[in-house]
Amino acid sequence: MIRKLLDVVGPEHNRPIRRMITALVVCAVLQGVAFALLVPILQALLGSDPDSVWPWVWALLGVSALYCAAYYDSLRTGFDAGATLSRMLHNRIGDQVASLPLGWFGPERVGRLGQLATKSVMDVMGVPAHLLRPLVTSFVTPATVVVIMYVFDWRLALAATLTAPLILLVYRWSAGLTRTADEARTAAQAETGGKVVEFAQLQPVLRVFGRGEQGSGGTGLDAALRNQAEASRRVLRTGVPGLVSFALVVQAAFTVILVTGVYLALDGGLDVAKLLAVLVLAARFTEPIAEAAVLGSTLRTAQAALDRIAELLAEPRLPEPSPAREPHGHDVEFEDVRFGYDGTPVLSGVSLRLAEGTMTALVGPSGSGKTTVGKLIPRFWDVDGGVVRVGGVDVREIDPEVLMSKVSVVFQDVYLFEGTILENIRLGRPGASDEEVRAAGRLARVEEIAQRLPYGWDQKVGEGGALLSGGERQRVSIARAILKDAPIVLLDEATASLDPENERAVQDALTHLTAGRTLLVIAHRLQTVAAADQILLLDEGRIVERGAHHELMAADGRYASFWAQRSRARRWRLAARPA
Amino acid sequence: MAAEQAALGEILRPIRGRLRLAVAAQTLSAIAGVVPFIAIAELGRVLLGDGADRSDRAWTITAVAVGALFVRLALMLAAGALSHFADDELQSHIRRGMVARLARVPLGWFSARNSGTVKKAVQDDVDAMHHMIAHSLLEMTSATVVPVVSVVYLLWVDWLMTLVTLAPLVIGLGLYSITMAQMAKHLPDYDRAMGEINASAVEFVQGVAVVKTFGQTHRAHQKFRDAADDFAAFFLSWVRSTVHSKAVAEMVLSPIAVLLAVVAGGALLVTGDRLAGVDLLPFALLGVGLTAPVLALFYASYELRFAKAAAARVGEVLNAEELPVAKEPRTPAGNHVSYQGVRFSYDGEKEALAGIDLELAPGTVTALVGPSGSGKSTLATLLPRFADVTGGSIGIGGVDVRDLALDDLYRRVAFVFQDVRLTQTSVADNIAMARPGASREEVIAAARAACVHEEIEALPRGYDSVVGEDARFSGGQAQRISIARALLADTPIIVLDEAAAYADPQSEAEVQAALSELTRGKIVLMIAHRLSTVVEADRIVVLEDGAIVEEGTHPELVARGGRYARMWQAHERSTVWQPHRGTPDPAAGTAQVGGISR
Repeated sequence: MIRKLLDVVGPEHNRPIRRMITALVVCAVLQGVAFALLVPILQALLGSDPDSVWPWVWALLGVSALYCAAYYDSLRTGFDAGATLSRMLHNRIGDQVASLPLGWFGPERVGRLGQLATKSVMDVMGVPAHLLRPLVTSFVTPATVVVIMYVFDWRLALAATLTAPLILLVYRWSAGLTRTADEARTAAQAETGGKVVEFAQLQPVLRVFGRGEQGSGGTGLDAALRNQAEASRRVLRTGVPGLVSFALVVQAAFTVILVTGVYLALDGGLDVAKLLAVLVLAARFTEPIAEAAVLGSTLRTAQAALDRIAELLAEPRLPEPSPAREPHGHDVEFEDVRFGYDGTPVLSGVSLRLAEGTMTALVGPSGSGKTTVGKLIPRFWDVDGGVVRVGGVDVREIDPEVLMSKVSVVFQDVYLFEGTILENIRLGRPGASDEEVRAAGRLARVEEIAQRLPYGWDQKVGEGGALLSGGERQRVSIARAILKDAPIVLLDEATASLDPENERAVQDALTHLTAGRTLLVIAHRLQTVAAADQILLLDEGRIVERGAHHELMAADGRYASFWAQRSRARRWRLAARPA
Repeated sequence: MAAEQAALGEILRPIRGRLRLAVAAQTLSAIAGVVPFIAIAELGRVLLGDGADRSDRAWTITAVAVGALFVRLALMLAAGALSHFADDELQSHIRRGMVARLARVPLGWFSARNSGTVKKAVQDDVDAMHHMIAHSLLEMTSATVVPVVSVVYLLWVDWLMTLVTLAPLVIGLGLYSITMAQMAKHLPDYDRAMGEINASAVEFVQGVAVVKTFGQTHRAHQKFRDAADDFAAFFLSWVRSTVHSKAVAEMVLSPIAVLLAVVAGGALLVTGDRLAGVDLLPFALLGVGLTAPVLALFYASYELRFAKAAAARVGEVLNAEELPVAKEPRTPAGNHVSYQGVRFSYDGEKEALAGIDLELAPGTVTALVGPSGSGKSTLATLLPRFADVTGGSIGIGGVDVRDLALDDLYRRVAFVFQDVRLTQTSVADNIAMARPGASREEVIAAARAACVHEEIEALPRGYDSVVGEDARFSGGQAQRISIARALLADTPIIVLDEAAAYADPQSEAEVQAALSELTRGKIVLMIAHRLSTVVEADRIVVLEDGAIVEEGTHPELVARGGRYARMWQAHERSTVWQPHRGTPDPAAGTAQVGGISR
């Protein structure tokens, strides 16, 4: 646990954490020494000469003062450690995220990443104060007491020592047992929770299809509820033996000391006062050990948070070129490109060329690799084989920021920041003047949106752009791309479910963005395909037909039948038909 | 706060008996836990004395101490088991209660806000209550019982020494409250800083993909680094401002301070012959253990507050208002749908629909068109009672929809949604949702008619493949499965969101074919997005701001030259637009190209 913590922070920054652990150990040892002083003190007070107690009381006072100093130091170093953890975790997560390939950022991952950068970091930040301190105290203080006990009576000390390995062993074993059962229970609880949420979200469907009341069976909710009850019973079955054993062992340790002590005292071998003092210690210190068992769940939360962070930090980064080369011109070229996700091939030998200033339409069935072709150009991922070149240079040899400045990507998933409209557009070129930003906004028909809103251009758009409709968010993202003014534009044309007015506005915006650029369109509209200088028909990761519209129609192959099918779909109307 | 307390009490009612039992067991267990300490003190008296039965009594006391430990353990386990089982039952009770309630609230209740509430209630809030019921309650019991029993015993031994022992506790708690109050005063600062760093973190990690595509990673990264450094610096200065008072309070409350008080006070009293040496033992044994439970009470009260707030939120879901059901349901004659003066408002202020009159005759297709926010979806969803009208009425076959039995209503009306939701069960079960008794042949026939049969057959387990496990569908495939579902339901009235047809451009043609099959001979009410689809509808209804502004067939409306005609024009233009070239301008005859200067 501690090693993992040090690893995640990085070797060059873990000093405050090491220092804090040292301070905690010193504190715990001093506490043990202070308690051990009880033996001579009680011995004196219970004996015939109570006045002999004073030197020991002064000693206790001295140790207490030292303890206070050490405690204060441990608090301070603890804060340092917390601050270091927060800064280093944020920084390392930031560095890593900045270096991951774009393709890594799926919606689900991004959602979890938000959790990771906030809650998980805070969980780990709490480790020094909420976890290390009680853990260290629970084990180091009793150990110190046992060691000092040897000075007073080796037989009792030996009895205590012998029980220690057993306690540790059972602690580990029982923690393991409870963890497995607890995890199963938590998982079962999460599953039922998820099912209830699903049930709520599915209500319209369930209800309309007459399954509202009994619908819980249809979604597996009943099974999940039963499963949860079963998991809870399992926790008791498997977890309880562990808990009982641990409690029993700790009790046994105490009992051994108690019985040995009483036996030794009665048979005259041991001074009663000494025995009583030792028993006080034994009684006091079996409890903190037992308390350590309770820390289990906090420990697991922190452990899980650390694991998630470590996992993120272990993701392979996108390699950066050194030295970087400058691309010449704005054409794009694929040479025998092979690429797959997790071993499933998506592109198997694609060669193509997008000449500067021309428009290329990519068509093909879903899953044929169209989006992947687009995403390999700005290095969402790197190819598994072959080369992607921009301006004659392998994209892997171009400085990522330079490459990105050459390419605008307009896909469906638009991300807006929680800033104003103006700030969101400015992302396209941070150095742009307000006037330039507005001009881009006007071209993308964002001005109409601004006019509608109470604060105009300075209207905050809400988290993820929640204040704007889908079509409006698209227009803002196009304005961004217009402002960026990159010579190569990648466009995914799926503008589903936009009402006619919005569709017109988005189209106007796109006109300004794409004119004269090297354009690659993942095309869905026949109109677009027909206008392309070059059409590439992709199927199962290969280009099966290529050429201009009239050439491909004349060839009467796959493209021609695709065209015919889409033309039929376009003419589709819903009309009353007799049954 | 009082309301939250009441909500918690209400929710705990079904398990109250067992919780009382658990608390009782824990109380006895805590008392038994104090016994060994007392036993050691008494052992001291016996061993230091010189009675003849010294040995017998010592062993008896030892046996009592060891026995008490076992009793404590047994009772503790019993209390833990009782509370855990009670908690499980409560969770299951709450979840079943929610399920029952969710099945009866108006569908309109499931807005984005409310599905978030459900999620929070079933996941976080139930969890917070689990903590309270299964852990905090028992911890608080021990934390109360142990000090009380200890102090009573100590007072019995010696009152003055008890006061000495309690002194650090009283002083420490005083200091602690002052520190807490100080921290509470600065807590808003902390919350703000925490909120800021979390917001920056979320913004950075979620926006970094976009930032990267604009080549701005470095800048954004630097900004986030700065925010992280600022937060770390703030955190340090914030905690350091309280370090002195916190340190002092915690030191006074530490076992060492109590030990020192017991030893120094005890030494004074013993050497002054005010106290017998052996009477000091109980204080060394029990006094030192007093502060930890008191601090635990502090923390537990915090959790209790969480649990109360959580219970209030859970109660909100459990008590959500239900959709009224007809007490004496009536049976409609036929399926003619009639909207009469229908008004509806989501918030009671702004009207989403302001007096709609509309007739849907059997065998006709009616299309609703209009800009987003015009009330199209509201109008359509009122028919399957996603919400009830706030004025006027909607009738089917002459009977108000509110007077129909719900299952009768849903036997008559099916709804094909824009966003399809499949349940995580087999594909066959998904299709047979409306008719669980349907035979496999009927399911297959529906899938065939919806043009999705071959794709289902191609799955590893065919119709028995489970959605989300070995059956993953594209948008268009899921769409067709939902159409198959509606086909099997075979209702005379279909409410259709036409955007459904365009969810997946790749299978547009198949989805269209399936929809044509579904609507054959039915009463169709369609929310239309693409005007080309509605050209042949029997009637097109143009909505604007919740009112019908135009109504008629396509040729009629185009000829009228009004709102619809303008929309049609925009639509026509948008279909000829081409990227790279723009829209051919009929006036100039040239392609419009633009772009700002490079």
